Amino acid sequence: MSKRVRGFGFLALAAILPLVVRDGGFVNFLTDAGAYVLLALGLNIVVGFAGLLDLGYAAFFAIGSYAYAMLASPQFGIHIPFWIMLFLASGIAAVFGIVLGAPTLRLRGDYLAIVTLGFGEIVPQTFLNLPQWTGGPNGLGTLDQPVFFGYRFGFNVLPYYYVMLALIVFAVFVARNLRDSRTGRAWIAIREDELAAKHVGINTTTTKLAAFALGASFSGLAGVAYGAKLGLVSPDQFQFNVSVAILSMLVLGGMGNITGVILGSILISSLDRLLLPQASNLIFALTHVHVDLSNSRFLIYGAILVLTMLFRPEGLLPNRRRRAELRAGTAEALP
Amino acid sequence: MTLFAQQIVNGLALGGIYALIALGYTMVFGIIELINFAHGDVYTLGTFFSLAILGLLGATGELHGPFLIVAVVVTVVLAMLLSGLVGVIIERLAYRPLRNAPRLAPLITAIGVSFILQNLMIYWHGPSPLPFPQILPNPSFAVGPVQIAAKQVFVVVLAVVLMIVLQLFVTRTKLGSAMRATAQDRDAARLMGIDVNTTIALTFFIGSALAGAAGFVSGAYYGTTWFFNGFAAGLKAFTAAVLGGIGNIAGAMLGGFAIGLVESLTTQLLSDQWSNIVVFGLLVVVLIVRPSGLLGATLPTKA
Amino acid sequence: MRSIRPGSALPTALVLVIALAACSSPASAPAGNTIKIGIDLPLSGADAAVGQPIDNGAILAVEQANAAGFDGGTFKVDADSLDDTTQGLHDPAQGAQNVKTLIGDPAVLAIVGPYNSNVAKSEIPLTNDAGLAQISPATTADGLTIGAPAKTLRQSHPDAIAFFRTCTRDSEQGAALAHFAQSLHVKRVFIVDDNETYGLDLADAFAASAAADGLSVLGHEHLASHQQDFKALLTKIAAAKPDIVFFGGVSSTGGALLRRQMPDAGLGSVPFFGGDGIASDEFIKTAGNAANGTYWTIAAPDVNKLPSAQAFVAAYRKRFNAEPLGYSAAAYTAVMIELAAIKKGIGADGSLPSRATVLANVAATTGFASPIGTVGFDANGDTTAPVLTLQNVKGGKVVTVGVYTVR
Repeated sequence: MSKRVRGFGFLALAAILPLVVRDGGFVNFLTDAGAYVLLALGLNIVVGFAGLLDLGYAAFFAIGSYAYAMLASPQFGIHIPFWIMLFLASGIAAVFGIVLGAPTLRLRGDYLAIVTLGFGEIVPQTFLNLPQWTGGPNGLGTLDQPVFFGYRFGFNVLPYYYVMLALIVFAVFVARNLRDSRTGRAWIAIREDELAAKHVGINTTTTKLAAFALGASFSGLAGVAYGAKLGLVSPDQFQFNVSVAILSMLVLGGMGNITGVILGSILISSLDRLLLPQASNLIFALTHVHVDLSNSRFLIYGAILVLTMLFRPEGLLPNRRRRAELRAGTAEALP
Repeated sequence: MTLFAQQIVNGLALGGIYALIALGYTMVFGIIELINFAHGDVYTLGTFFSLAILGLLGATGELHGPFLIVAVVVTVVLAMLLSGLVGVIIERLAYRPLRNAPRLAPLITAIGVSFILQNLMIYWHGPSPLPFPQILPNPSFAVGPVQIAAKQVFVVVLAVVLMIVLQLFVTRTKLGSAMRATAQDRDAARLMGIDVNTTIALTFFIGSALAGAAGFVSGAYYGTTWFFNGFAAGLKAFTAAVLGGIGNIAGAMLGGFAIGLVESLTTQLLSDQWSNIVVFGLLVVVLIVRPSGLLGATLPTKA
Repeated sequence: MRSIRPGSALPTALVLVIALAACSSPASAPAGNTIKIGIDLPLSGADAAVGQPIDNGAILAVEQANAAGFDGGTFKVDADSLDDTTQGLHDPAQGAQNVKTLIGDPAVLAIVGPYNSNVAKSEIPLTNDAGLAQISPATTADGLTIGAPAKTLRQSHPDAIAFFRTCTRDSEQGAALAHFAQSLHVKRVFIVDDNETYGLDLADAFAASAAADGLSVLGHEHLASHQQDFKALLTKIAAAKPDIVFFGGVSSTGGALLRRQMPDAGLGSVPFFGGDGIASDEFIKTAGNAANGTYWTIAAPDVNKLPSAQAFVAAYRKRFNAEPLGYSAAAYTAVMIELAAIKKGIGADGSLPSRATVLANVAATTGFASPIGTVGFDANGDTTAPVLTLQNVKGGKVVTVGVYTVR
């Protein structure tokens, strides 16, 4: 089966899934997981393709969500339609990608990571501290629900599911094309050896900024879709754990590998919402001891990060080039 | 003016804690160029260890005289030992295997370790803040119009003493010069017969032990502790280390006190809610504008 | 060497996920004569110490209804308790999801909860849309029932309410605390809040009432998140020489730590005022010796003092081997009101009422005798007999200073 046929097969499966599994909670879970897939695909551009370790990616998610909350809600009386907001918010997020990425251009790996972490803290806390714009700790609520040719989405999760699916398809399409483009190759070049890339004539400044901008734009899409579905936005949705969760998805699935990223994202979302509660039930059934595992979430994220980096840094679905890079100092670089 | 001076005293005490934590960051970065993300959580573990030790000693309230000295010394020493041990274990299990990997790898691993430690602390004492016995008597001294609390003097004095001891160790002892040699050029050090692995483990031990001491100090000073303390304190201490010059011990001390002052003065002059943002903003600015810090970075000459 | 083929990984993952989901989804076909009361509360994590007792109060009411035989034993009542915490903290998104689950279950005829005001904000649009009666025993933010914000929350049916509460509002808590401060001849207050939904609301309410009562508000500071060092802030506060320090927020976001460090800043003898967010054993434990001299209100009666609550207290103690909170009684009352509304709507043919009928009956509740007194709802869904209990921490123990009926 060729890759293309497989891809369409999955798409068809995903499209009929909610009609077959009639559990609203499950469809809701998939929609939320879909938002995280979008975020992971965006971070994949920054970390996976261009090799820039961004530890504060949740900041862009916040920017996308708040853009929607401020421009499509009763807050300021502005009601830009959902479909236009998708473009607008990804544009706004992209601009901020450039704004927050520009200061990091001269920095090397770990300093870059810490600066992005700093931004990841500064952005939500700033939203928190400006109540007249952002509602402060209350956030903004009753965000506009999308309207599609006269059909209002309402509180039913199904239309949001399909929108999320469409956005993911779009994002995968864009990511694939970026990866195989000249920019994509420039990203690989600066990821492997920035100095050499510069000498070959690659403009590292614009290349890096392009990575930040494009990566951030995906989170703009995710922010709008997720915000519209949830109907509210508040600063505590964008803390460091969100950035780490998305990074874990990348690390687990395979940095740089689009399919891997999707897989990693689904696995970690399932871990959260499905596996951990089920494991608690299983343990109770076996031992009659109540163990609440859902709060062990971070232990497991941490363990995933550590174990993956120690034993399989290229992730579950390896990208051959990445595997060679990551195992550079060891004997297992090439299979 | 009095108020200003008072806030400076507050800032110095807070800064002493940051300085102790910053030392660990700076030493580890100086020797293997790794930002030990889990370092802040070792600091919190230090407080938790101190809590346990004080519990075993039966110390619940203010102590005096010889009991006080015994309790403080025993707790500090044990907390430092235990924290140092934790640091060594982390290095051995999570960082050493990745010593030759691209820098992305151990950084991500460090984040993972940090999360694991935080979760372990939640299992240990729950997700909410908890009280720490206030064993230090706290009379105030008036220096002019400014009131200085004994606890604040304790914090600053302990921080400075430990830093001086550390500086002496690094410059005057054989192990210390082994550390400096390894930091400067790992391969040359190995060729000189220095056991690089042990030296690095020792560096982690000392850095983590200092964080453990900071943990005790923090518990005694604030009277409370919480599993999540290490995150913000760690970031701010890292800011301090960079501000002073990463890899530079005196720089960590200077940076620590500086950040403490920035925090208190921001609270006084601006508002409490912006103090974190100002410090994180300072982090960003320093890393961009002057990454070598105030006193200059001390980094390996050969990567 | 072994490697996972991309082709096999994704379908395997999907199948696994679907299988798990299939295992976890509850059988949603209701048994013909089961009535469910849905409950959404923080049952784990930082708020569990309050969430669990509230849940217990509701469960007690359900169990008693079954024991007495609901409608002559024809129907069985079930309590479906859902946890709205994520990562140990109450989460509006989880609350919204829980309510959606409850709405999707046709056996659920009414809901009790939540505990946190920001969770209520994500749930009210949903219950309003579904026309499902929701009574909260503890959410105190004003904007949930009155004013323009409340109307905006009722997205689908702005002029119809589905949300009710058996507790007072923050503006009333703030006002009562301000009046009380005034009665103590307090002139100068300094206000701090934890910059979260509830804390900010309460602090603003207190600030407004204090100003109206002629007290001088020296300053109003918001804490930074995860703050541990309050020395600089307390020095700033001490310099302003306040008669009392008011804290809006809960114990774990700074209330206890702030109070703990006050003596070191010379503010040990300055009384500490707060709302129900710091009214907990946890506050006393964490603040230690400094806890004395704290005054707080709880938006519920002191069940140990109220004669009408004694039967409830005894039953609760027997069933759960623990002391009930004022909010436990409020939750118990909420369930009682809902069950009464359901019973009233049972048709002559013995059929269960629709959600709309239950909602209408709940809204029409007046003069209802309950452990927390005689209860009814006004046109906004607020209780017609809100009670505030003012308490003081003295010698490490909680002492009730006064009980106020606010309206």
